[in-house]
Amino acid sequence: MSLIADEIIQFSSVLRIAYNLLTGRNYLKRKKFREKEKLVAVTLPFSDLAFAAGTIPVFPIRMHQFEINKYLTYLGSASSIFGWDTVSNFLGFVRNLGIEDVSKLVDGIIEDVIDVINKKYNEMYDIGIENGISSDFCYGLKSLVGMHVSKGSNVDACLNVTIRCSAYNKYLESLKAINQGPKQIWIDIPPRNIGNAIELLTDNITNAIKDFENLTGNTITDNQIREHFKIGNQVKRSYKNIIYDISASDFYPCNPATFSEIMALLSITYQDYNSNATRYRDNIVSLEKEMRERIRKGIGMDVSNMPRIFVTPMFGGWEPKSHEIIYELGGRALYADWELLQLLEEIPTSPNSNPAENYARFLMNATETGIGCDNDKLTESYLRMARDLNADGMIFFQLFGCHSISNCYSMLREKIRRELEIPTTAITFNKIGESIDQMKTRIGAFMEMFN
Amino acid sequence: MDDLSLLSDFSLFLKEKKLEGIKIVAYLAHDNIPEELLDAAEFFPLRLMFGGNDDLMDASHDFLPPSTCAFAQSCIGLFSTKPNEFSFLELVDYFIVSNHCVSDVCVSEIISKYFNIPRLNFYVPYTKNESSLKYFKLELLNLKSKLEDIRGREIANEELLESIKKYNNFKKILLEINELEILGSKKLNVIHEAMLYGPDFQPDLEKFIQNVKEKPLPISEKSKDILITGCSIFINDNMVDLIEEGGGNIIFFDTWIGNHYYSQIIDDNSFNSEKEPLDLLVLKFKNNVYGDHSVPNFLEYKVAQIENYYQNYTKIKGKKLGVINHIIKFCDHISLMSSFLKDKLQEKGIQVLNLERDYSRANRGQLSTRIEAYLEMMK
Repeated sequence: MSLIADEIIQFSSVLRIAYNLLTGRNYLKRKKFREKEKLVAVTLPFSDLAFAAGTIPVFPIRMHQFEINKYLTYLGSASSIFGWDTVSNFLGFVRNLGIEDVSKLVDGIIEDVIDVINKKYNEMYDIGIENGISSDFCYGLKSLVGMHVSKGSNVDACLNVTIRCSAYNKYLESLKAINQGPKQIWIDIPPRNIGNAIELLTDNITNAIKDFENLTGNTITDNQIREHFKIGNQVKRSYKNIIYDISASDFYPCNPATFSEIMALLSITYQDYNSNATRYRDNIVSLEKEMRERIRKGIGMDVSNMPRIFVTPMFGGWEPKSHEIIYELGGRALYADWELLQLLEEIPTSPNSNPAENYARFLMNATETGIGCDNDKLTESYLRMARDLNADGMIFFQLFGCHSISNCYSMLREKIRRELEIPTTAITFNKIGESIDQMKTRIGAFMEMFN
Repeated sequence: MDDLSLLSDFSLFLKEKKLEGIKIVAYLAHDNIPEELLDAAEFFPLRLMFGGNDDLMDASHDFLPPSTCAFAQSCIGLFSTKPNEFSFLELVDYFIVSNHCVSDVCVSEIISKYFNIPRLNFYVPYTKNESSLKYFKLELLNLKSKLEDIRGREIANEELLESIKKYNNFKKILLEINELEILGSKKLNVIHEAMLYGPDFQPDLEKFIQNVKEKPLPISEKSKDILITGCSIFINDNMVDLIEEGGGNIIFFDTWIGNHYYSQIIDDNSFNSEKEPLDLLVLKFKNNVYGDHSVPNFLEYKVAQIENYYQNYTKIKGKKLGVINHIIKFCDHISLMSSFLKDKLQEKGIQVLNLERDYSRANRGQLSTRIEAYLEMMK
């Protein structure tokens, strides 16, 4: 891990994003109790309306206390006085001087961030099962139930957006049985864009906005919504640039395992922007800038001879060690779930347009062409993404108990062989860290194909 | 009639339909497919309502992982292994891809794609608000238009209205069957047969009711009455036998194959309010609040419905009623809600057995033990 840590300290924005993710609890407590803001639980990247309404969206795991490496806490405190850039530059400077103890501390910080998140996910998984969700469901759902059982009572509302996964939709319904307190705000996305479906979805969004107004007691103007969309669009632009301009390129600003780690961090935090859209926007814009700057200076790694392995899906649960294993075997893991699902598309913000309708079009586009209302469409999304990333191979995480995404693998494999002619393999996943040896063997056999 | 004879007779019936030039449209057994529309277009709606076994489930693993709903796996198995008794599946002209659950989408899509059966799409919204009802109508219009294209002419409002009335009357008769005090297995056989054949079976239903009224079929006084909720008991499934062997008797089938179907009756006022026929189908969808597809109030409605039935039953009969929540393994809807349903009913003093199983022969003994233990507890 030392190489990864060594690389990451060069990106102060990554430290900031990691710090904001792990210290969410304090931030949220302050918002809720001192500033009397409303907390709204969100899952998947559907936080836009909550931000636009002036509430605080939160991916529920972030309400937990994380065991933060004490030095990251010190860094956080130091950054509030000196600023993150200064702290990061100082760490880089110390590292370059070869002061080993400090280097080890930094290594520990980064290793802890990833491990702590994964440990917490597994803890949520166990809580979910202990509280009655059948172990037959996917990792993501079990963890989400655990999050709501343990911390869901702290939120004022849950924003529930239906998707094609019936288990997910039923999980959303179960939230009011888990905690009676929070208000349930629903947006039902019609399964297909037929007839005036956009108009109907716009109505559903308008009703959700009214629910938010009732929650906060404030009127939500179109301008407020547009303003948030503008921030969201900037986030999306930078995220996309990192995916296409950097992750698909032949020169990385850091080693590929570090890069994957950063992409994993973005994937987790994109769901609620660490509860602060402006701060997140600034961090991701700065991350893109830092990456480009390093590439411009020739700092980083030539990865042209390392096969691009598109690893997906990861958002419902995946083995985080996979990118390290791929790296050790000479490849690089690319993560791009949200782009694949069309959730990084920008939302128009022109003053004369109806923001609720624009949001409806965004959601409908994701449903129709990203997530897809059937496996034929979903598999097309995987193909499109693999093509756009110029992937040399694909590793598909087949989640035990996932009946929505994992079920498309046989169809996907057939299409990939026919249309892309790249190797592909499926890895069964149940819980983080559960079958790493088996996974190593599978990935090892798969990577042999590129030698 | 045993299940094999039923399937054999049904095979002949379907062949006759086919000879009459009628096209067969198959779909997974869910309760929101507008069979009246299919009927009005002169198609025969074939509900896949067949239970599975090890062979059928295994045969699906070329297409889906084993962690898929056992019923969904078995449906693929039927098309993949083509057992003799299901030869009528060769007659299917179209397959409806719908989204009762995501396994419905996946399985229907696979059957259509890999077994070369043209697909018709019919997607159902998850909620029941004003927009959802309007969306449901869009889907109806879309399906109607596709059926008209195939048929080569329009489906007239009169034709649709006639079909709606036909199915409505058929369900009223089925409700009478539901009320009969007969052994659960017998009742289920009749319901299976009726739902498979559709309104063509109505005269037989009426005759059956008449016969029972004239010559009641006694039930052992020792048997313990059971309301079954959750997943349906399909044709060729031994679940009802296991319950009866354990000393139970199912008196109410609160499932797709059962009350969810025949409780969807449109009242006379709605017929008289000059609604368009399609609006009557929308109304039927709106009123189907006990179906497990819908969110976010399924659980509340279900708890209230079971509690209401339970209270009425105990008041009238003066004895306990058992509730078995039948969960087919990996069923998204029923499985995810099972612990909540059980907790909420038990809070109201109603004992519930969450009985999860797939179609493998191996778990028969375990299921019997659990059922017997539960019935024992009811003493």
